[in-house]
Amino acid sequence: MSTPLLEVVDLHAGYGLTRVLHGISFSMEEGSITTLLGANGAGKTTTLRALCAMIRPQGEVRFRGERVDSRATEDIVRLGIGHVPEGRGTFVHLSTEENLRLGAYVRKDRAAVEQDFDRIYGYFPRLAERRRQQAGTLSGGEQQMLAVSRALMLRPRLLLLDEPSFGLAPLIVRELFEILRTINQKEGVSILLIEQNAAMALDLADQAYLIETGRVVLSGSAAEVRNNDAVRASYLGY
Amino acid sequence: MEAFLHQLLGGLATGGIYASVALALVMIHQATHLLNFAQGEMAMFSTYIAWALINAGVPYWAAFFLTIAFAFLLGLAIQHFLMRNLRSTSVLQLVIVFIGLIVIFNSVAGWIFTYTIKDFPSPFPKGYLFGQKYLSPHELGAIGVTMVVLTLLWAFFRFTSLGLAMRAAAQNPVSSRLVGIRVAWMLALGWGLAAAIGAVAGMMVAPIVYLDPNMMAGILLYAFAAALIGGIDSPGGAVVGGFLVGVLENLLGAYVVGNELKLGVALVLIIGVLLVKPSGLFGSVQVTRV
Repeated sequence: MSTPLLEVVDLHAGYGLTRVLHGISFSMEEGSITTLLGANGAGKTTTLRALCAMIRPQGEVRFRGERVDSRATEDIVRLGIGHVPEGRGTFVHLSTEENLRLGAYVRKDRAAVEQDFDRIYGYFPRLAERRRQQAGTLSGGEQQMLAVSRALMLRPRLLLLDEPSFGLAPLIVRELFEILRTINQKEGVSILLIEQNAAMALDLADQAYLIETGRVVLSGSAAEVRNNDAVRASYLGY
Repeated sequence: MEAFLHQLLGGLATGGIYASVALALVMIHQATHLLNFAQGEMAMFSTYIAWALINAGVPYWAAFFLTIAFAFLLGLAIQHFLMRNLRSTSVLQLVIVFIGLIVIFNSVAGWIFTYTIKDFPSPFPKGYLFGQKYLSPHELGAIGVTMVVLTLLWAFFRFTSLGLAMRAAAQNPVSSRLVGIRVAWMLALGWGLAAAIGAVAGMMVAPIVYLDPNMMAGILLYAFAAALIGGIDSPGGAVVGGFLVGVLENLLGAYVVGNELKLGVALVLIIGVLLVKPSGLFGSVQVTRV
């Protein structure tokens, strides 16, 4: 078996004295879409934060076989891990274009960066219309597109998405998920997705892990997890 | 009329210096939300370095640029070794650190260079230029140097990716890290730039007020007034505020309050702005949802 793209072993993390993760383990293959499901407070966002060293975890995180759990956030980004954080993380006082430019901050291939603006504007024409506008004045949906686009400007190998559908109209969510599928299939970007909307996440994902109170309680292919009775009752509502 | 013009233009010359120091204050405030009370003393100390270099036979402009480099490293070091390691987030404690820096720079300058007032050379020729006698060559030169510094700074923040990264790090450190910006270094860079700007202001003002360890005390007060008038979060506002304070100081000093009470003008301006329009002319009102 080839080395997994991302391998997490016995991850513990928390905030101050409050422990949130009690030994999470999972792995994902290059080119796949993996989703972490779970209720509010289960530890999904904390897991993503720990992967990016926004909080210090205990345990092992390997990216392409290499230990990354003691590196700084800035260095993890340089390995090609793009993070769309909870709350979108917009640079509200900067323009849309400047937000995107910051996404490519660590890249040295300037000519390709300029081309990537057109690629992004192709996916999200609304952002092209708003390129000179102050990002804080964009609508919630536009800011979510901007957050995803900012992470894509990194040309990541792995995209971490923290509830991209949050606060969006259903139509826009569908559009966004279609684009995510395209990015995964055409550009080979692997995606680790956190979602409240379990049905949509399972439609998009290949693999799924169910997290309850800081532990993985169920894992398998998206189809297997979707057909699990407990998941259907608790997370899919049918 | 001639006297009035003289006061007005002279005000613009010192105003440029206030504008530079105010800009240095605004830069650090934007990055850290702190007011660096030691900005003036850092500038004074750098000016002494320039004086020492020139006295050692270094040509003026070489000493000028060496001093800027020294000030930049000094600012960098203060952020990197001192401010960054302060675990405290209490404003009061940080203010005390700044006051400590004031005392240290002031005393060390006095200890090394003595408290005797010294002449500081101007790089500009003597006698009046261009057939006018409102502005001395040094005043004209100081305005010119200020404008060059401001233009370079504006271009740096507007057009370079490092400038953009510094702006980003100042407003959203968490997101900045997530795009790979080394936020701690951006802060240090901000301190370095602010100290360098302060050093230029120090070297431009020293020929006018003469060099001594207390030379920046009054200037810092005017710079505070300038930064507040312009809006503490607006670099452009700090510059406008600087020129405004310089002109007001001169005109009020000449025609209203007299020379002895000139410094009081700065205090009245500070209190006035805080009472009437705390966000300043160009500042934005910060609203926090709770």
